[in-house]
Amino acid sequence: MTDPEPHVIVFDEGIPGFPDVRRFVLTDIVPDGIFQVLQCLDDPAVSLIVAVPWLFFPDYAPELTDLDQAGLELERAEDAVVFCSVTIDPEQQTATMNLLGPFVVNVRTLKGRQIVLTDSDHPLRAPLPLAVV
Amino acid sequence: MLVLTRKAGESIVIGNDVVITVLEIRGGQIRIGIDAPREVAVHRAEIYRQVMEANRAAVRSDRDSPILRTTAGSLERLRRQAESRRGEPEES
Repeated sequence: MTDPEPHVIVFDEGIPGFPDVRRFVLTDIVPDGIFQVLQCLDDPAVSLIVAVPWLFFPDYAPELTDLDQAGLELERAEDAVVFCSVTIDPEQQTATMNLLGPFVVNVRTLKGRQIVLTDSDHPLRAPLPLAVV
Repeated sequence: MLVLTRKAGESIVIGNDVVITVLEIRGGQIRIGIDAPREVAVHRAEIYRQVMEANRAAVRSDRDSPILRTTAGSLERLRRQAESRRGEPEES
């Protein structure tokens, strides 16, 4: 086999705000970088910067409902990969992370969902302790 | 929009398997019970809307920000700098 095709993650419900998009790929921004881009294949305009939340918030513990687990066909916790979207404020050059709506992907089936943690008090805009480096 | 008037204890059936019941009306608040199949997601509208808006803002984010070139190594350096600014961590 030559270069493997990037894994296509299917969000079969779309994501909030973009209900009609389904297929995404995850690509690195820089080698060994901590930020990736979740790029939509169905609509090139839809791409989100994401990162693994535990790099910044080691105690973060989003809870999946049975419904979410069933939708992701998730049988084992270790099959779940979690990442959260990052928003950059262009003026302040600061970044925040959305901990209220994490993305969860089943690495075995490549099914993904954005989980809305309705009954939690996770912040929508958690500041990332990052200065311009 | 269909508008119905209901009293406490009365319900509305949507489709074949969603039942919404007004449980209690007190002051300015109404407690609502929802019976729906497992595959139907139920969200508080304002929370769902917040995530929707956050996604739109995230899509508009600047791809060229130097912040996004942070590597695991540079993050570790930042952490150490922040720690040394806070003074020596106490060893117990």
